[in-house]
This record gives sequence, C-alpha cells and structure tokens, in this order.
Amino acid sequence: MTLLRDVVSELFGMFVTDARLSVAILVLVAAVAGLIAKFDLDPLVGGAILFLGCHLILIEAAVREARRRRS
Amino acid sequence: MDAVSWSVAAPAVGAAFVASLVEVVEAFTIVLAVATLRGWRPAVTGTFAALGVLGVLIVSLGPLLDRVPLHVLQLAIGVLLLLFGMGWLRKAVLRSAGVIPLHDEDAAFAAETEALAEQAKRKHTSLDWIAGLASFKAVLLEGLEVVFIVIAVGAGRGLLWPAAFGALAACVVVLAIGVVVHRPLARVPENTLKFGVGVMLSAFGVFWTGEGLGVDWPGQDLVLLIFVVLFVATGVATAALLRRPSVEVPQ
Repeated sequence: MTLLRDVVSELFGMFVTDARLSVAILVLVAAVAGLIAKFDLDPLVGGAILFLGCHLILIEAAVREARRRRS
Repeated sequence: MDAVSWSVAAPAVGAAFVASLVEVVEAFTIVLAVATLRGWRPAVTGTFAALGVLGVLIVSLGPLLDRVPLHVLQLAIGVLLLLFGMGWLRKAVLRSAGVIPLHDEDAAFAAETEALAEQAKRKHTSLDWIAGLASFKAVLLEGLEVVFIVIAVGAGRGLLWPAAFGALAACVVVLAIGVVVHRPLARVPENTLKFGVGVMLSAFGVFWTGEGLGVDWPGQDLVLLIFVVLFVATGVATAALLRRPSVEVPQ
C-alpha cells in the first residue's frame, strides 16, 4: 500500500509542483479554448495568448515562491 | 527521414534523452546505494522487477493511444506537458537564482544509504528485501516519469520509437559511466539539464496544446525553436532578477 501511495503521490507531484501554477495553466488553456470556440477568435491569436500567458505564469510563480521563501 | 521530419524528431529525441538522463541519474544513485550496502543482487533484482512493471504498463497502455483522436491526444498531452514542464522550469529558475538549493547526488546517496540501514534496524526485516524494494521503488518512480516523457514528446506525431530511443540512450550512457566511475554521478550538471528539459517540455506543451486547439503554427514544427529560445530567455531573465540581492522582489 505504501508503494501504491508513493506511485500516486509521484504521479500527482509530476503535474502539480505548485498548485497555483497548475491552476493558472488550466485556466489559461480553458480560456483560450473558450475564446476560439465561442468567440471565433483566430486560433493563431489564441496560440499567441497561450504562449505569452505561459511566460507570465512562469514569472509570477517564480517571483511568488522567491518572495515566500525570503520573507 | 526528410529534413522536416528530422526537425520534429530531433527535438523529440533530444528532449527524451536529456529528461531521461536526469531521471536515470537519480534512480542510479539509489540503486548504487543499495548495491553498496547489500551487493548487486538485490539492486539488480529490484531494478529488473521495476523495468518489468514499466514494460507491462507500456505494452498494455500503448495501444490505447491509437484509439484516441489526434486533436484530443495533442491537447491532453500538451496540457500535461505544460503542467510538468513549467513545474520543472519554475524549480530550475529558483535553483539557478539560489532561492532553493541545488540537487546533490552525493548527499542523496548518503541519505539513502543511511535510511536503508535505519529501516532494516527498525523493522527487523531482511536487509536484502528492503534493499531490493528500495531499488524497485526508485526505478519504478523515476521510470514512470521517463515513460510519460517518451509518450508526451513522441505520441503527438507518431515519434514514440525515436523518443524511446532517446530515453534508452540516456539509460545506456548513465549505466556505462556509472559502471566505470562506480560512484554517484554528482558532477552531472543536473540543474542545467533540468532547466533545458523544462524549457523543451514547456515548448512542446505550448505547441501540442495549440495544435489540439486548432492553431496552425507558422513555420509548423520549426516554431518549436522560437518557443525554446524565448522560454530560455524568460527563464534566464527571471533567474537573474531573483538573484540580485539588492533588488527587492516586486510585490
């Protein structure tokens, strides 16, 4: 059972190292998908939003963690 | 293979190789700790048992991938790659900035050896059994990540075999070096590799997620190179910003 728990925890940890980072990525992807599907946004513009959004999320996650550890 | 398909295969093989290198080094450290403490028999038995479980997983789950529509597969894998890759990249940026300590294979080796001895004392169990189990668990857990990476970078364009070749090459390289030096591979620039892997997986993640959402990327697969360069730039710039002690982290 310990092994199974470790496997599940490893799998979870692979995708969720920082819960806010993971949620932000999922929200970004859902928002871009919604804009393309519901508002006929040019998919290429959607792709650009996705790409830029990922950079902003990365910067925010790193800065937030650094601030937390240094405070 | 023509020039365009090489442009897709090379990043897939490279990403699988480098990412697997990091995981295999971590697994090797524990297997070596087991072997040092109890000899190669439990270490090798645990390793092969884990490889067997991973093999069964691949053989049973692999064919299911063919049944998933391509766009759904690309979107699912793209999102998982983003979650996985950006997590790695964030950690690599923080390590590079000195916010969190670098991973130390020598320390991991010492800790694992000590933990194994402690566990055997506490549980009054055969040390061979505990050693074999530790080896099994290390290879299984790190191997799961390798399997995911191979599927993630390979499945979107039918590049599972080239990606698997990249992962296998990483195993061979680590084993060959490990057999020669016979100590933890502490001099592998693990954080630099993790930074690179985080960049590559994030770039693949944006690419596949976009394809899954119907984005027709200009330049097709070559856009991956631009993604990689820009992710590196963002990662390096963020690490530099966080490294400056005189600068207050923006509130």
